Amino acid sequence: MVKGKIGKYSRSVSIIGVGATPFMDINDDPELLGLTEGEAFGYAALTAMEDAGIKPRDVDFFYHGSANPYFVNGSITPNMQVAEWFGMRGKGSVHHSEACCTGYVALEQAVMAVASGTYDVVLSGGVEMATGLPDGKKPACYRRRLTLNDIFPDLISMVDRAYGRALYGGHGIIQDDWTELYARENNISDELMDDILNTLAYHSRRAATLNPLAMHRQPYEEVAKEKGFSNVMDYLKSEYNPRMTHYLRVSGNAPTADGSACCIVCPTEIAHRFKQKPIEVLAIGASALDLTIPHLEKKATAEAGRQVYERTGLKPEDIDLLLVNDFLLSSQFLAAEELGYLPKGEGWKYVLEGRTAFDGDRPINTNGGRTSYGHAFGASGMADIYEAVLQMRGQAGAHQIKKMPKTTMLRGFGGGQNVRVEVLRVAE
Amino acid sequence: MKLERLTKKFFDGLEEGVIYARKCTECGAIEFPPHYACNTCGYNETTWITLSGKGRVESLFRPEFITASESLESLGRPYCFGRVALEEGCSINAVILGVSRKNTVKLWDKLPLPVHAVFTEIDGYKTLHFMLDEQ
Repeated sequence: MVKGKIGKYSRSVSIIGVGATPFMDINDDPELLGLTEGEAFGYAALTAMEDAGIKPRDVDFFYHGSANPYFVNGSITPNMQVAEWFGMRGKGSVHHSEACCTGYVALEQAVMAVASGTYDVVLSGGVEMATGLPDGKKPACYRRRLTLNDIFPDLISMVDRAYGRALYGGHGIIQDDWTELYARENNISDELMDDILNTLAYHSRRAATLNPLAMHRQPYEEVAKEKGFSNVMDYLKSEYNPRMTHYLRVSGNAPTADGSACCIVCPTEIAHRFKQKPIEVLAIGASALDLTIPHLEKKATAEAGRQVYERTGLKPEDIDLLLVNDFLLSSQFLAAEELGYLPKGEGWKYVLEGRTAFDGDRPINTNGGRTSYGHAFGASGMADIYEAVLQMRGQAGAHQIKKMPKTTMLRGFGGGQNVRVEVLRVAE
Repeated sequence: MKLERLTKKFFDGLEEGVIYARKCTECGAIEFPPHYACNTCGYNETTWITLSGKGRVESLFRPEFITASESLESLGRPYCFGRVALEEGCSINAVILGVSRKNTVKLWDKLPLPVHAVFTEIDGYKTLHFMLDEQ
């Protein structure tokens, strides 16, 4: 792979507002069944504006992200189709689509638009009403439930059509590739890896239980009891939590969700004029590798991480909080090690000791992570940014981490695969 | 620079049992599957070479509900997925034919294992898979 580098922003940019819907399955909610993409994105956008203390007229430009708008929502140019839901008819906008990395790219693009001097106030968000599909020619409020038989065949569309789909191996390997390499390098048995991943799932659910926006909030203790288990780990290892791949059980895969999240950025020099404590975006590193490349997640994470460390001069010990796209649950501690947030070869011990839980000393995915928070594809990355901002302001409520984070790192991953590593810091 | 159909030549090659790749004219790295430019050093020029198809598989994963391929299932023979390092120095995530789901796990402790290329008719074209040298 060819390495990249990032420069210093022409002007500093900060996040001044965030907004989000809960992540949910609206098929289960008669009050919300039929909620359209424009309504969800509009809610997230307007609550982000309210958070910042601004009105739609104050926003100069917006970015709309969704993982796959044609498949999920039957739309191209979806940015234009949602603009009127939040008072931005006639303003400039653009749509982008990087599958599960979309929400992270959303921040990158907005920051560059402001850093360049083109715009002062930019809204950027992701949305996916991912539990349903268009129902023929009916309006968006009518839809049919999305099934696994709908989505799995479509996942191949993330793979290079010239070679990758024909050679096919990447699609079959990505789930377990990095975990297997890590297990081999660190002499971790299948049984021990199962314990590690079940512990991750358990602590992720503990955080989600305390997070009002999370999709799965029932404590695993209760779930286990309902199935007749007094010990939650016995439940997580049982047939009620079957393996989906060699390593990943159902509890290690991300449930599909409906949801949206947005943020608003502006130049740091004017960020103090608004309602909230500004969160500066220090740097965003980027890499992308096709699924045919062995160990692509590890390589792209290392590359994007190197870029931000070189740009900022920060050390891993400066990072107080890490959020990782963990639609493959093992990514939590694997990416944490690759980025230096956990010591090499030791991350699995931190997991087993509960140190990566929201109330541990090296917290990861304090919103519950994809496996419990839910995964609304193109919106999930922005939901992580939403969580990071709340934590850095001290507004995360019951799942607020012990030490108020000054610096947060996020690792986005998705779409065949794009990677972003983003560093946020409480503005001086 | 020549405007040419590298993808077509690659798949035409597979029809004839030949694996085409490219080689960077500056750093010498193998570009596989073939592209115009070098993705190892970022140089703009590569030239045609052929690969032996010999290498070793370094990992094996059985197909699961979320990774199984309808096309591969239609071959009616066992398959799994694996990282293949070719003897020319390039690597790829590939399909390994002839290894059953059960054997995938059994073989883990014996990896890496030597493999060779096989050319498989699938969905109306020929593609590249691998098989263990010794089943």
